[in-house]
Amino acid sequence: MSLIYNWMYYIASGGLILIGLYIVLVKTNLIKIVIGLDFIDTGVNILLICIGYIRGKTAPIFSKPEITSTNVVDPVPQALVLTAIVIGVAILALALSIGIKVYQHNQTLNVNKIKGLKW
Amino acid sequence: MVNPSLLVGVPLALAFSIPLFGLISKKIEKYIPIIALLINVIISLILIPQVLKKPIVVSIGGWSPPFCINLVVGPLGIFFVTLISSIGLLVSIYAATYIKEEPTEKYHMLFLLLIVGATGIVLTGDIFNLFVFFEILCISSYALVAYNKDKEGTEAAMKYLIQGSVGSSFVLIGIALLYGLFGTLNMADIANKISLANSTFLFISLAFLITGFGIEAAMFPLNAWLPDAHSSAPSPISAILSGIAIKTGVYGVARMVYTIFNAEGILTFIAFLGLLTLLIGEMSAFRQDDIKRLLAYSSIGQIGLIIFALGIATSLGIFASLFQIVSHALAKALLFLAAGYMIYRIGSKSITSLYGLGKKMPITSFAFAIGSFSLIGLPPFAGFISKLLIVYAAIQVKKPIFIVFIVVALIATVIEAGYFFKIVQNLYFRESKNIEKITETSGYILAPIIILAILIIAIGIHPQFITGLLKGAANELLERAGYIGWVLGGS
Repeated sequence: MSLIYNWMYYIASGGLILIGLYIVLVKTNLIKIVIGLDFIDTGVNILLICIGYIRGKTAPIFSKPEITSTNVVDPVPQALVLTAIVIGVAILALALSIGIKVYQHNQTLNVNKIKGLKW
Repeated sequence: MVNPSLLVGVPLALAFSIPLFGLISKKIEKYIPIIALLINVIISLILIPQVLKKPIVVSIGGWSPPFCINLVVGPLGIFFVTLISSIGLLVSIYAATYIKEEPTEKYHMLFLLLIVGATGIVLTGDIFNLFVFFEILCISSYALVAYNKDKEGTEAAMKYLIQGSVGSSFVLIGIALLYGLFGTLNMADIANKISLANSTFLFISLAFLITGFGIEAAMFPLNAWLPDAHSSAPSPISAILSGIAIKTGVYGVARMVYTIFNAEGILTFIAFLGLLTLLIGEMSAFRQDDIKRLLAYSSIGQIGLIIFALGIATSLGIFASLFQIVSHALAKALLFLAAGYMIYRIGSKSITSLYGLGKKMPITSFAFAIGSFSLIGLPPFAGFISKLLIVYAAIQVKKPIFIVFIVVALIATVIEAGYFFKIVQNLYFRESKNIEKITETSGYILAPIIILAILIIAIGIHPQFITGLLKGAANELLERAGYIGWVLGGS
């Protein structure tokens, strides 16, 4: 059990990434594929966060005297994740708006039926 | 001294000011990218001699590396910046008259952001900053592929977006693993500590990074998006994607493999992947009947040749690979611009509709012929020298496997010659009745095409123009201790 306890954030992030990849590879609905992309994104963000996380330590905001530099987590991954979330939102918005256009041209969201360009 | 951070800053600031200029007057906005890129070309030309003497490291925020985000302007970076801004300048001159569909201010803004992304990727010395610029490049190219909002464009953009965003997630996973191993994001600092880490984790991280950048570079199993995206985009965007965007993926792979990971073991595998990409690309191009799809598949082939030469891993091999990057960027930009103009006149992308255009559009057709001869590798064009150098470098390694590789590569070149000769022959020696009214336009839409053709011939006749810069760039990739020394001091 201690293995799961120590590694649960890594397991969760890896699981989310794999679920996302599965959705992207297998599902045929365009909206579901976009949701899968977002799963991958969230998984990567959790991976970044848990790399900098130390169990039992707090956020590095020095508002109280008992918070010193020895009992805080690494703040750099959190800054990275903020940036990554913003980028993820941009991609999601662009994907959905292109998806709307695809639907208007093809009257379907099933990627097996969208065959304008041969592979 | 000019501050190299202007290379990123000027286009970024001007990009977001374009909609504001568009409010004042529709006539000003299309000249903003030309101005921004002209400034970039001038700055990079001023910086080249300084950088070749001593590389410039710009630290942002007053901290010293490895604690700050820094720009590293070495020979490799300045070589790519010069290439990106000069190709971008020519394409933006072309696009100023070519792009008529509204909203043009959004087109010019996204175009400039794409250039910012590409410039940032090659200059930055911070691995997360690299990811951010990579995303700027990718998001603006997804949007630009769908710019015409037609059926093909949106479908191609969707495919590109799905594959590209999986790729950039992979890059981020690789970066997260590297940060977890070393606790730093500075590329020189990671490179300095790389031998201390567990090799299994390093391999996983390298695999993620190469897959991620490989999607942008269109290496063989990851290139399904490229023919659709490059052929459905507006022609100036096809030129910039083929000329610049996929090269930044190659830069990413090269920087990771050579500078950061020092992974000599996988270089033969990378050369093999490049060879596969070359063969698949050229064979697929041979049976296309849509001119832009043909050029897109030919881009895959040429990228394969570049990656193959990168995998040779001698100083001459990397030099040849960078030379091939220059000659392919010039030739493919020229071909896409000329083809885009022909398609605009004829109204069809099919190769059969190009019959007999040589007499109606003499300048464009002649430039098209120059571009395709340069890609095939005929003297006296730039492509001849790069292909000759690649063959010479592969023979010089004296490993039997590379002799086999180069034989296959030359067979692929013969296939390439097959389809390009066919097009040029159709341009000049076939008759067609549908093109009676087509004429060559005068005016400055022809200027970028002519300049590109002149550059190809000039570099082909007198390669010493760029060899000094290319030698420095190849050394930067091979001598990683030097790179670490510039950034961290000492050495």
